Amino acid sequence: MSGIENSLLVVVVDTNPIWWGQSRDEEQIKLTLTRCLDSVMVFANSHLMMNHSNKLAVIASHTNKSYFLYPQKEHSKAVSTAEDDSQIRQVDGKYELFAQVDEEIKSEVKNLILGGLEGELHADSLLAGSLAMSLCYIHRIEKEHRSIGSSLSSRIMVIKGSEDNPAQYMNFMNTVFTAQKQNVVIDACILDNDSGLLQQACDITGGVYLKIPQLHALLLYLIWVFLPEPSMRHKLTLPPKAQVDYRAACFCHRNLIDIGYVCSVCLSIFCSFSPICSTCQTTFRFLGPPKGSKKKSKKSSN
Amino acid sequence: MSRSSEDVLLIVGAVRHKKVDGTLYMMRERLAWMQSNKNNFSVSHRYCDIKCQKISPDSKEKVQLQLVMHDGSAKTFQFNNTTGRPAQQHDRDSVKEVLQQLLPKSHQKISGELEEKNRLLKDDPELFQLYKDLVVSQVITAEEFWASKGKKSTNCAKNDKQPIGVSAAFLADIKPQTDGCNGIKYNLTADIIESIFRTYPIVKMKHAEHVPHEMSESSFWTQFFQSHYFHRDRTNMSNKDVFSDCAKKDEEEMKVERAKPMGDLSIDLVQIKDFSLGEGYGLVNEDQKGSSNHTHLTMIRRFNNHSTMVLKACEANKRAATVTTDSVPTSNISTHPGRNRVMNEMGQSSHLEPQTKKQKIQNKLGFEDLDNTESQESVNLKLSKLERYLHGPTPLMATRYNTSEDVLTATQNVSSEVSEWNLDLSQVLGSSVAVGVLGELSPGGSLMQGTSEQQLQQMVSQHLQEEMKQLYNALLELLRHFWNCFPTSSKFLEEKVMRMKSALERFQMVKLLAFKERLQQYHYAINLTGHMDEMLSAAYSKFDNWQIKKLSKKS
Ligand SMILES: [Zn+2]
Ligand SMILES: [Zn+2]
Repeated sequence: MSGIENSLLVVVVDTNPIWWGQSRDEEQIKLTLTRCLDSVMVFANSHLMMNHSNKLAVIASHTNKSYFLYPQKEHSKAVSTAEDDSQIRQVDGKYELFAQVDEEIKSEVKNLILGGLEGELHADSLLAGSLAMSLCYIHRIEKEHRSIGSSLSSRIMVIKGSEDNPAQYMNFMNTVFTAQKQNVVIDACILDNDSGLLQQACDITGGVYLKIPQLHALLLYLIWVFLPEPSMRHKLTLPPKAQVDYRAACFCHRNLIDIGYVCSVCLSIFCSFSPICSTCQTTFRFLGPPKGSKKKSKKSSN
Repeated sequence: MSRSSEDVLLIVGAVRHKKVDGTLYMMRERLAWMQSNKNNFSVSHRYCDIKCQKISPDSKEKVQLQLVMHDGSAKTFQFNNTTGRPAQQHDRDSVKEVLQQLLPKSHQKISGELEEKNRLLKDDPELFQLYKDLVVSQVITAEEFWASKGKKSTNCAKNDKQPIGVSAAFLADIKPQTDGCNGIKYNLTADIIESIFRTYPIVKMKHAEHVPHEMSESSFWTQFFQSHYFHRDRTNMSNKDVFSDCAKKDEEEMKVERAKPMGDLSIDLVQIKDFSLGEGYGLVNEDQKGSSNHTHLTMIRRFNNHSTMVLKACEANKRAATVTTDSVPTSNISTHPGRNRVMNEMGQSSHLEPQTKKQKIQNKLGFEDLDNTESQESVNLKLSKLERYLHGPTPLMATRYNTSEDVLTATQNVSSEVSEWNLDLSQVLGSSVAVGVLGELSPGGSLMQGTSEQQLQQMVSQHLQEEMKQLYNALLELLRHFWNCFPTSSKFLEEKVMRMKSALERFQMVKLLAFKERLQQYHYAINLTGHMDEMLSAAYSKFDNWQIKKLSKKS
């Protein structure tokens, strides 16, 4: 037992129906939600196969909620296990854990997609919420492990297609910094447009950010790039880290700026100086350079 | 005559040097000798060049003083006052005394500065490299180099010298040496004398009273160490000694000290017994021999007195430093009522006593850091744009605009897909696709681009990196000097700008060009020195502008 570190992998899958449904229209993208989930299952099984004590969780980041695909809640599991186990075993000669993982994910996805269509739908996913949920789960599992005296290294793997939502910025960054503090690595596999938020998240926590060019080969990217533990990645030749744009947007015009003015009271960022902070109404009084020195130098030159 | 502006501390006439009569001048910074009926100094030495002085023994006929220089040479002056030998000796001694005061001062200053610079260079290898690059290769002078560095170092070192306390063992630390024939030699340094004076003000008084007139310095100290005052555990005292009355005074002082009330009411010294608990683990009978030996008692008393004096010397330091806080502790002590205080004296002091007592008890009972610290009054933010404060800048939604129809078809697509979903995990990845992607992910593949660029630090040899770092250091230091001159408010700065400009040019010619030539051998794709060139050209254009402005002003 000693020497081998247990690893908890939390996979966050973007299941936004609008993005997945939309992407079907475009020809070049040949990946569907179900195929994506198939890949995720194989990836998850691979992770479990690496070490028998490895742990797994899968969370769906949906348009209006975050949803645990695996593991299921304790009570529902207790009811179903007796029957399901025997059923699963009879289907094929598959390792029971794999079969259980696959079945649970499948049934939960069906519950989520088919049962949860009421309410408002957004084009973006609740990524910040899913990350926070992952961190809570990681925290719980790590605590359980610590109580029995074994160690656990945890990471989060995000598979995302839909757009970033800037409204989540604060929440998102807060979870990222929490992850950094908890030594949780965040990896991101991007299916569509680049995500500025996740670029920062991966850079801050030391994870891998990769926008994949061939969507239908998702599984290969997952296994090649994201399956190795962060601790052994430096021994591999992996795609180079992308340059992350850390420029902040000014509050007044939303321009990205390199150097700006920050209100010392409310930390608002501005691209140009104004004597009154437009966010919190603080007035700034400035003391100019001392006038005495100027006069003196004039006198001496006279 | 510029000489006249110097402070002359002492002028002694009739001093012979190399058998020529003349006058000895002692200035603040140097010592000089002028031949009589001449107008210039033929001998002049800065005090920092003088290593030490020697005087001729009294047994010799000539009254002489010799100065030994750091380079080993020596200058001898003979005091030739016509009024006689005592006057000659007096002249010599006055010179000796002035020198005695000045020599250590200048030595301290010089060695302090040198040591500081030496230390700076030793501690900071980068600074040392910079020094080698700029000063040793004569791009700028050492003084200029230190002028800018010095500001930093002296800024922190300039704090007031902390007064040094008196070591309790300073008397024991004077290690007397036997001179072989039944005598003992004490080596007294200025520090020890200072300590003795500070601890025993009365000795200082005696020193002031007796030393110049009645006895010499050395005989005073000989007496001091021989005195019963010093060997004070001896009980008999003779009255002939200079120090005999000192002991009596000390006796009185001890009494006064004993009468003073204790500072801390919670400690009862009378209860404290003089034995160690640990010895018999409490089992051994505790009755004491009660150290009745009279000499032991006096010895202990002397020790205590000595400690008191040392502590007082330290306190005197503090008091001198902080005059304002002075009144507080003394009043505190004086208001402590002695045990036999008369009733009618209990005026305000009795008010203070319970207070201090209370304070003492409070200190014992409560812990400050456990107290609830009152929360500070905070100022509320007046947020006019709450949204901004909470979320930062929210860009206008740039996402693809979705009509409700789009949304509906999309969700329907997905749900129909999911409802028909059957797991087929062995078919997730086709082998040809996998091979294609493997190509992307292998070194040289489309996803691995930039790995080579990132390894610039591996491309450029360690040696070159080091060299470039040094170049940067040197150049930045020069540029700092250069930009520091602006605005050129004084003549000196103007001259310095010119000098720095030429220094920069010299740097570019000598160092940078050579480095560039070396770089060409390696055929790097990137221009490693581009940034340095930019910085240089920025400085040059600033200089040109400045010169044009200056010329136009003049015309
Ligand atoms: Zn702006
Ligand atoms: Zn503000």
